[in-house]
Amino acid sequence: MVKEIERVGIPVVHMCTVTPISLTVGANRILPTVAIPHPLGNPALPAEEEYALRKKLVQAALRALCTEVEDQTVFEN
Amino acid sequence: MKLELGYIPIADIQFAKVSKVEDGTLYVDQEALKAFLYQDDDVRQWVKDFTFDIAKPGESVRITPVKDVIEPRVKVEGPGGQFPGVIAKVDTVGSGKTHVLRGMAVVTAGKIVGFQEGIIDMTGPGAAYTPFSKLLNLVVVAEPAEGYQDNKHAYEHAVRMAGLRAATFLGELGRNVEPAEVQVFETLGIREGIARYPDLPRVAYVHMLQSQGLLHDTYVYGVDAKRTLTTILYPTETMDGAIISGNCVSACDKNTTYHHQNNPVVAELFAEHGKTLNYVCNIITNENVYLADKQRSSDWTAKLCRLLDLDGVIVSQEGFGNPDTDLIMNTKKIELQGVKTTIITDEYAGQNGRSQSLADADPLADAVVTGGNANEVIVLPKLDKVIGTLDFVDVIAGGHAGSLREDGSIEAEIQVITGATNEMGFNRLSAR
Repeated sequence: MVKEIERVGIPVVHMCTVTPISLTVGANRILPTVAIPHPLGNPALPAEEEYALRKKLVQAALRALCTEVEDQTVFEN
Repeated sequence: MKLELGYIPIADIQFAKVSKVEDGTLYVDQEALKAFLYQDDDVRQWVKDFTFDIAKPGESVRITPVKDVIEPRVKVEGPGGQFPGVIAKVDTVGSGKTHVLRGMAVVTAGKIVGFQEGIIDMTGPGAAYTPFSKLLNLVVVAEPAEGYQDNKHAYEHAVRMAGLRAATFLGELGRNVEPAEVQVFETLGIREGIARYPDLPRVAYVHMLQSQGLLHDTYVYGVDAKRTLTTILYPTETMDGAIISGNCVSACDKNTTYHHQNNPVVAELFAEHGKTLNYVCNIITNENVYLADKQRSSDWTAKLCRLLDLDGVIVSQEGFGNPDTDLIMNTKKIELQGVKTTIITDEYAGQNGRSQSLADADPLADAVVTGGNANEVIVLPKLDKVIGTLDFVDVIAGGHAGSLREDGSIEAEIQVITGATNEMGFNRLSAR
């Protein structure tokens, strides 16, 4: 899906846990997330902390989206 | 470390007033077995009732949903007992003498927890896809207590314990029976092995254990594998139940406890030990859901391969999807240490076989053995008797809405069949 959307000219940030698969399949902007069963949250955290975690991830994704890349890039936090 | 396995062939199972093994027949007192299962507190809390049934090769019987398959064994000489840290107390197993009830298994079934348990057909086209159709199966059907749906992990644990306890109860009946055949397995110390086989390549088995959590788990000496670091086992430890399955992943490529007890990679490496290779040890490593864990565990696998001065390893996987990344990370890092690898996996190449087989890949993973394509579609005809329930056929992994058809037949992917594409190579499917 990432590749098809980029093919029509819209840049994509792939937020995912297993970044090696994302690299293998050819995503260009990759943002590592929490865990496979809960990529964008953490049920072990209290609600407020989890909200902060989610906000941080979305902000990092938006920053990645605005960053020019020459090659496949993993945006480490 | 040296283990002697004594095989007691079982040619028939019958229910009887007294439990015993006599002249190749296993007699089972159902009341005594049930009482033994209920000695466990969690079993008492979560299992309302057990019924027992016997399924024989060739009978028109379908067992579903299947949770685990276990071979009854008993330690007759040497330290420890079966399933150390779970049933027996923690003690290093894998030496001395163990008796095996051969040709049979305990199968746990019934309204089990999740959506990924399997089917064992004792006859028809489905039977060819599962090794367990060739065994005499004592099926333990569990009926859950009220409220199990909100306590699935506790219920899974209770049924897991019940299966292991049933195997322990039956294994004990073989303690004083003279085995028909004895096999000896021995692993030497590092220096001893090099001295005895100076010219043979040093080979180990990298055994990947499913540990994704959420009912996809494996236990080593009672420890949840997702909380372990990559480590070393003597191969014979697995023959005494050091590794057990708590895994409800797709039936075709989950390693049941029976697979761990009878690991074919271990068997083949022992068969070649001292002839074409020097079988050094097993390296066990997990398949966790955090990337940091995947990185750490595969780093440690490669590190141990280097430290042990190995020439080659066989790597086996369990499950599919993100564990494909663990597989590839292990393989790549081990190869980069100068150690050759061959991997055993299976494929999810779509029903037409034309999709990418694994979620991850690398040019260094260039020696691959496949257990077959799990998406292959099969039609299983209606059989006369069902042990368990057909209620879940549409929702187990590999099934779909309408899998169970009006005439009682089932159309599904072979993913639904227990052991169909096993990634230890415990089945007959493969490809060239």
